[in-house]
Amino acid sequence: MERWLIVTLVTVGYLLITLLVGVLSGRGASSSTAGYVVADRQFGFVIMYFVMGASIFSAFAFLGGPGWAYSRGAAAFYILSYGTVGLAPWYFYGPRVAALGRKYGYVTQADLFAHRFQSPALSGLMAIISLVCFLPYLVLQMEGAGYVFDIVTEGRIPPAAGAAIAYGVVLIYVYHSGVMGVGWTNTFQGVFMMALAWGLGLYLPYQLYGGVGPMFEALSQSVPEMLTAPGLDADGSQWTWGGYSSSIAISVFGFSMWPHYFMKIYAARDERTLKRTVVWYPTFMIFLLPIMFIGFAGILRFPGVEPADAILPTIVTSLDLPAIVVGLFCAGALAASMSTGDALVHAAGAILVNDLYKVWFKPDLDDASERRLIRFLVIVIAGVAYYFAVFSSFSLVYLLLFSYGFLNQFLPLLVAAFFWPRATRPGVLAGLIVGCTTVIVWTSFPELQWQKIHPGIWGLAANFIVMVSVSLATPPMDDEHVREFVVT
Amino acid sequence: MSIKTRVFSSALSKAERRIYGAVTVIFIGVFLATMWPIYPLFNRIRPFVLGMPASLFYLLVLVFVSFFSLLALFRWEDRRGKLE
Repeated sequence: MERWLIVTLVTVGYLLITLLVGVLSGRGASSSTAGYVVADRQFGFVIMYFVMGASIFSAFAFLGGPGWAYSRGAAAFYILSYGTVGLAPWYFYGPRVAALGRKYGYVTQADLFAHRFQSPALSGLMAIISLVCFLPYLVLQMEGAGYVFDIVTEGRIPPAAGAAIAYGVVLIYVYHSGVMGVGWTNTFQGVFMMALAWGLGLYLPYQLYGGVGPMFEALSQSVPEMLTAPGLDADGSQWTWGGYSSSIAISVFGFSMWPHYFMKIYAARDERTLKRTVVWYPTFMIFLLPIMFIGFAGILRFPGVEPADAILPTIVTSLDLPAIVVGLFCAGALAASMSTGDALVHAAGAILVNDLYKVWFKPDLDDASERRLIRFLVIVIAGVAYYFAVFSSFSLVYLLLFSYGFLNQFLPLLVAAFFWPRATRPGVLAGLIVGCTTVIVWTSFPELQWQKIHPGIWGLAANFIVMVSVSLATPPMDDEHVREFVVT
Repeated sequence: MSIKTRVFSSALSKAERRIYGAVTVIFIGVFLATMWPIYPLFNRIRPFVLGMPASLFYLLVLVFVSFFSLLALFRWEDRRGKLE
């Protein structure tokens, strides 16, 4: 049988299993909005572990990670660095979020903050910002999926078709099963991703150099500048410590605040499960190590690959590996993309309805209607993202640059919500708006980025300053209410 | 506004506060150790450990420190019956 056909069959096999798991899992949750969005707050440890692991590691990890190692060397180490401490804050504030969620019936991130600061305006604003952050991220997942399909089938399944197939499957199980579908498929996909990463990450250096040690030895002889941080910048020049360090910082600050991620706190069955997930998370995250090895393996053996993100599929298809292995790789890359994409599209629908539409336009929306509307919007959002992925040449990578900057502006909200009783509604709103505006300005005018420090940091600084000063200048909130939230 | 700003709950004992404080300090330490100005001190290629340049192995060590700190905290909380 022809090579590409075997590859496609293996991939289709993966997709069918994912579809089955995703659709069948829907029976486990109630038909309420709480069932659809937070799985009735019943996720056990295994599902939480894989949801947390697989949702955050996306096509970026599988394609961008090796791509960074390949073209920028040790600059890629920042990805490993932020994963180390990124989720730890949940150990401390997670249980509080979950308890409040149980008490007041929260299903989204904005639910908590809008309630804390008694601000419907904040709810809608957070929803809009979340959607702005989600869209380019989702589009990139679809592009990644299409891209991998195209390469491994040697062009017979073009990117538009590949993306449509992969995300058609996602749409079916997310529509049908909501977050249960996300959780169970992420478990399957997470295992897949890890197995692929470790398998290929150890095998490829062995094939190309005789091992990881010999590989790094060879690199230290030819390109030593690739092995010490901060590595290279996107244009090939030396990256700065400011750029490298601030990238870690904003990734850490934003990590636990991704709205599609944060809302999973509500899904955990109890405090113990939540904390256990955080404790064991590094064991998943460590798969970034072999992923990076693959990128490093490409430097001396496959020079001149463009774009750098193509390095992993390029190596895999160039080495005359058994077609089944290539098929498994394709499935693994799709798993990485889909396990993030499904959480994004599901969360986007839930947030648009729960935090924007319901709060700003129709507060008396009943539960059944809300669920129906979320499902409908999931389709619409997937459609919009697909349009951008396939038909529009609008550079969403540029938009993604704003995303982490915007996301970081939620951090002051978190700090104020639990640690600063004197914060007021005008204060947090002003801080958020000024923070986001600063991000836009600093991203649009890179000359302002002293030492190439990320715009998100500048936004955070402005955000905190404004939040504190405006809060102090406005009347304090009601003691009784605030006492429900802050550490006392 | 009569509520005082606190980092740790007043319900915690001094010993408990110390433990949580210590773990927090460890994590802030690990966070800072991944970047300038601490990382540059360990940012060299040799010696190779487990086949990796020291600059990379160093980060792996930080992962272990994080993991074992939180694991220890979890076990400690569990022994004290603090976890539901």
